Amino acid sequence: MTDDTTPMTDGGTDDEARTDGGPPATVPPDDETPTWSERKEHSQGLAQLTYQYFERSRREDEDLRTESTYVERDVLGFPTWPHETIRNLAITSFFLGMILLVASILPSHFGDPANPGSTPAIILPDWYLYWSFGLLKLSPINPELAVLGGNIIVSNELYGLIAHGAIFGVITLVPFLNKGNARRPVEEPGWAALGVTGVILAITLAVLAIQNFFPVPLELLFSLVFMLPVAGGVITYAVLKTMREGYMYDLNRRYYMLRPPK
Amino acid sequence: MSLKKQDDMDHNAWLKSQDLTAIETAFLTTLIWLDKRLRIVDYLELLETMYYRANLQMPKSHTEQYDLDNKFWYWYPLYSLGSLSIIAYLLAAVSGALLGFYYAPSTAGAAAQGDPTAAYDSMVMIMKDVQFGFMLRSIHRWAAQFMVAAVFLHMLRVYFTGAYKEPREVNWILGVVLIALTLLFGFSGYVLPWKQLSFWAAQIGVELALATPIIGEWAAQLLFGGFTLGQATLVRMYILHVFVLPFVVTALIAIHVGIVWVQGIAEPH
Repeated sequence: MTDDTTPMTDGGTDDEARTDGGPPATVPPDDETPTWSERKEHSQGLAQLTYQYFERSRREDEDLRTESTYVERDVLGFPTWPHETIRNLAITSFFLGMILLVASILPSHFGDPANPGSTPAIILPDWYLYWSFGLLKLSPINPELAVLGGNIIVSNELYGLIAHGAIFGVITLVPFLNKGNARRPVEEPGWAALGVTGVILAITLAVLAIQNFFPVPLELLFSLVFMLPVAGGVITYAVLKTMREGYMYDLNRRYYMLRPPK
Repeated sequence: MSLKKQDDMDHNAWLKSQDLTAIETAFLTTLIWLDKRLRIVDYLELLETMYYRANLQMPKSHTEQYDLDNKFWYWYPLYSLGSLSIIAYLLAAVSGALLGFYYAPSTAGAAAQGDPTAAYDSMVMIMKDVQFGFMLRSIHRWAAQFMVAAVFLHMLRVYFTGAYKEPREVNWILGVVLIALTLLFGFSGYVLPWKQLSFWAAQIGVELALATPIIGEWAAQLLFGGFTLGQATLVRMYILHVFVLPFVVTALIAIHVGIVWVQGIAEPH
């Protein structure tokens, strides 16, 4: 059965003793690896579309590179490495020191052990969740339905949760609602005003969460929670609109340098 | 066909033929010895490539090209808030790992309602008995505070400079997710000492979860281990805080920073 010229399963013959395992049983596919264009030709459907798109986008890049000269190129951002990284390290190492300093001079408070039997007078999360806690105290504006005899449609907790969802939803959608090249607040006073409104709303909601600490009637406090952000937004809008005229000359000059009119 | 020694490069002969100082000889001998075993020459080439890439003459940034530096430099600290939150995150991770050696996520040991539990006692032990423990907890807490503050301010900076616009929408959404996870990080850490405030904050969390339609009870059981607070809640918050969130948040931060790296820092015009 076994003769010396019959190839073994590993591709070699038995004519000499092997200690090295012999040649590889399969041919390495190096030479047969299809090239990019071959792969593109053989593929179909979504794969083919993908290859076609990649081809297009590479050609686009190449055209852009050959057509534009370096100096006139639009620089969309400055490089993360090394410029930004080095600058950030310098500034943040200072802040690292600040953290350690603050940690050593302001040790954290430690309260009583948990007692499921007695609710404390003041329940509070950490400061950064005050705004979220404030959203849970919006029960006065939870709409009541006359049809239901003044019953609320959703529970107060769910109402707070929906408010959270709405806020996160709006924040997530910002890049899809505000498009264009404008970068500075003066260029888009409306969006800057919206931002300021949001910031002040977060602060006033936080105040609402710790209402016990403010000797203000609750009704007044509740009105202020919504009036102050709107007022802040209006003031921001007015100020930026006024500043805009002065800025526009300078901005236009820079824009024309960046994108000369054709 | 056997494994015969090929007509290899006789590196040692080459070494002898060179006129080298002792230091050079030692260096080359070591290099050859290591390279025969580890083929470090490949990695050296990679390193060399990286070195040249890092030291390339960078293209002028928009700021440099149009000489905006004089208008721009005082905004720099705001541009470092993202990296500040990463530094604070790393500091919290290191101090948190050390705290984890001593902390026990258990509600055992309370004879009556309101008695200190094992978790509470371990915190007291950290603060009173462990060498440097008080400072360690303080550092962990303040690093967390700084991280949350930096993350919020970072979002404001990005918003007001319009840095979320066209190529960077995905990163903005990733950032919103990271903020939510950071807050969850803070919340789960707040529960761990099992103080009065921890307990009642968690109580509000359970009530909120239960108020959610459809998935409410499921979410309460997943996150809080039931509808009333107890041992299960504490362990789940602990695992969330020291296992799940660190992996998820670290991975997301890596992607977030990777995208920034690829896209560059957005500048106000």
